[in-house]
Amino acid sequence: MPDTSAEKALDPKTKRLNRSRIENVLNPFDEYAIEEALRLKESIGGDTTVTILTMAPQSGTDIVRKALGMGADNAAMLSDDAVGGTDAMGTAYLLALSLKHIGFDLVLSGTQSTDAINSVVPAAIAEHLGIPALTYAKKLSVQDGTVEIQRETESGYWRVASQLPALVSVTKGINEPRYPTLKGIMGAKKKEITMLTLAAIGADSSLIGDAGAKTQVDEFATVGARARGEVVTVSDPHEGAKKIMDFLIAKKLI
Amino acid sequence: MKAVVAFIEHEDGHVRRSGLELATKAADLGRELHVPASAVVLGTGAQDAAQALKTTPIDTIYTGADVPVEQHLGDPAVDALDVLLKQIGPAALLVPATNAGKDTGARVAVRLDAGVITEASDIVVKDGALIVQSPKFGGSVISTIGFKNSPYQVIVCRANSFAARTEPGKGDIVSLPAPPAKQYPARVEEKVVEEAGKISVEEAGIIVSGGRGLGGPEHFDIIEALADALGGAVGASRAAVDAGWIPHAHQVGQTGKTVTPQLYIACGISGAIQHKVGMRSAGIIVAINKDGNAPIFEFCDLGVVGDLFQIVPELTRLVKERKGAA
Repeated sequence: MPDTSAEKALDPKTKRLNRSRIENVLNPFDEYAIEEALRLKESIGGDTTVTILTMAPQSGTDIVRKALGMGADNAAMLSDDAVGGTDAMGTAYLLALSLKHIGFDLVLSGTQSTDAINSVVPAAIAEHLGIPALTYAKKLSVQDGTVEIQRETESGYWRVASQLPALVSVTKGINEPRYPTLKGIMGAKKKEITMLTLAAIGADSSLIGDAGAKTQVDEFATVGARARGEVVTVSDPHEGAKKIMDFLIAKKLI
Repeated sequence: MKAVVAFIEHEDGHVRRSGLELATKAADLGRELHVPASAVVLGTGAQDAAQALKTTPIDTIYTGADVPVEQHLGDPAVDALDVLLKQIGPAALLVPATNAGKDTGARVAVRLDAGVITEASDIVVKDGALIVQSPKFGGSVISTIGFKNSPYQVIVCRANSFAARTEPGKGDIVSLPAPPAKQYPARVEEKVVEEAGKISVEEAGIIVSGGRGLGGPEHFDIIEALADALGGAVGASRAAVDAGWIPHAHQVGQTGKTVTPQLYIACGISGAIQHKVGMRSAGIIVAINKDGNAPIFEFCDLGVVGDLFQIVPELTRLVKERKGAA
């Protein structure tokens, strides 16, 4: 996905993000998912394999290499010019087909991407695959074919369990992602990246791209910067509090 | 389009204001489109929730008290909505932008082959079709989005975006038939409450947030006291969450929640861009910080440069005094 700290520009013609001027970065939320997958592999051992799946332009290969450098075993990348313009639901459809193609026991994802906040994608992928979506996990364990998570709620968490296969989306607090080591980065160059095509995964071309999208951006407007309001420096705390109180009363917020 | 349907969340029959907002919006859109507007409440307490919704202009309230939503993480809600919406025919489904609301909306959309528009801050009718306004890229851009080739339409709505109106409509209550017994692979084993009775930052009308300037977890009690006095929620910056002072569920900003309260009070928060993108759509922003050069003073409506450890408790006292007198 595009670097979140970069200045964003929308292409006025296509009304899509102009990606040509922005460096790709690994979605911070996905780093948590990769880290959690690696920790699971380390705890389960055996022949557990961690595969990175992404849908990205060819230029996204360096991001996949970074994930491989963290310790993932291999990667699959759906990269096809025809996917340009695919909306969130179309993306979920394509990722679900890709997952069916490569096979899995457990799918880990971030809860959202920081660029478009399309946090509907993980649940939509699960629905396409007919598996449960255990979303917003702040803790995860797998034992005897059962996955258990702590699902973040506003007041605490829910303990939720499900048989595999299942999809789990993880929140930020779940772990501290590792940095790729030099050895890992060197090793990543030899790891296999399988290039997937729409034909290989059996995608219905009428459901993707601009033509298949069920939503359409009609226009967009840049929001002006918030005006700087009054800023006062106070030495007496009561004066500061009173100032705020009067303001809230004037704005009918209290 | 044959109907506008709002999926309303509740807790044991208690409907939050965001639910009333959603029902009111559904009713208004229904009127404009000349189609019936309904609300759906599922799970234990659905009857009580329906009574609360009768205060809104909604035509019909579908209740499914027997749908085991609490036990299976929303999957039964998806089944119930799927069945109901297929009976009703092509409809717009409004869901709240909560964790469960987004999951439910996404799964129902796949079943109905519907388009989904997320983070709606407004919905209008234009030429007989629904047009959605949605902030993108941290609120720096507002997109206007429509549906195409999508008889069913799912819209994920932000809290505090629409006004809730007390204006009873027809309010017919229709009980949904008990769902057929079904084995769901996912089950909720336990609900752990760590902080009882708290409002989530996504739904709160008022948020009081604390940041690095608090200096430690023990000082969040002054933030909480002010939030309680104002009837709001406690938010936090990434610095406070990363330091382990407060759980991630409270984090506002790029790697946390995007919030749209009427009032946001930032205490000891510098206002870095990663925080700003999560709260810049708030109605009014008030900042308290001892550093007069903090970026937050560039985009707040009122800034007070001073000692938050003294100002916040004093403000809490003034708020309580006023509310007590009222």
